[in-house]
Amino acid sequence: METRQQGTTLFSAILVLIATLVVIQLWLVAAALEALLARDIGVLVPTAAASAALFLMSAGLLWYVIAFDERLRHWGWRG
Amino acid sequence: MAEARWREDFPVRWDEDHYMTRRELAKFLTLGSGLLAGANLLIAFVGLTGHAPELPVRRIAADADIAPGTSRLFRYPTDDDPCILVRDTSGRLTAYSQVCTHLSCAVVYQPDEGALGCPCHRGVFDAADGRPIAGPPTRRLPRIRLEQRGADILATGVEV
Repeated sequence: METRQQGTTLFSAILVLIATLVVIQLWLVAAALEALLARDIGVLVPTAAASAALFLMSAGLLWYVIAFDERLRHWGWRG
Repeated sequence: MAEARWREDFPVRWDEDHYMTRRELAKFLTLGSGLLAGANLLIAFVGLTGHAPELPVRRIAADADIAPGTSRLFRYPTDDDPCILVRDTSGRLTAYSQVCTHLSCAVVYQPDEGALGCPCHRGVFDAADGRPIAGPPTRRLPRIRLEQRGADILATGVEV
């Protein structure tokens, strides 16, 4: 059974994961800008695709943790 | 009722302060993630659809004006774009943007090393092709396309 303690730990872990993904995306934006200025066009599509994939992962994690939280609120908790 | 004097030095009431919950922070980070993905897509769009503008042909020097192992400054394609024309010791002519690709200081020709050096952070570019060979720069200097017509040297374009 999901407990309040589990929810808190899960939320913190997922928060750290999302923050890590955002940092990777920041690096991708910097790399893409550098490539654009150097007219290295071949790098731009892979970086954009990777960034979009990371965003989808972040959104998926957020959706999962919010759904978990809602379940917890609906069923109550034992801790 | 008068406030305690210490309250003047510590005016923030922590129990009335607004704290961001983990849920709000996760939403905020995901929103930032979406914005960064959008920025990356925009960069890719600009890179794939943008095309180089047509640049003017401009006389920059007379062939006789520049001796081997010397350089000459000029502006191209506009008066706000400093460039450097280099004739190396073998007599070959090359020209580059004079703006360092690190932090935009002006590079100078170093004939003994066959290089263009940036005095600000000791960046060094190869005078033969403009690529960075030492120091902090990671991108090559934009190269100015040259053409010789009679006794004149003309700038005809920029290769980034």
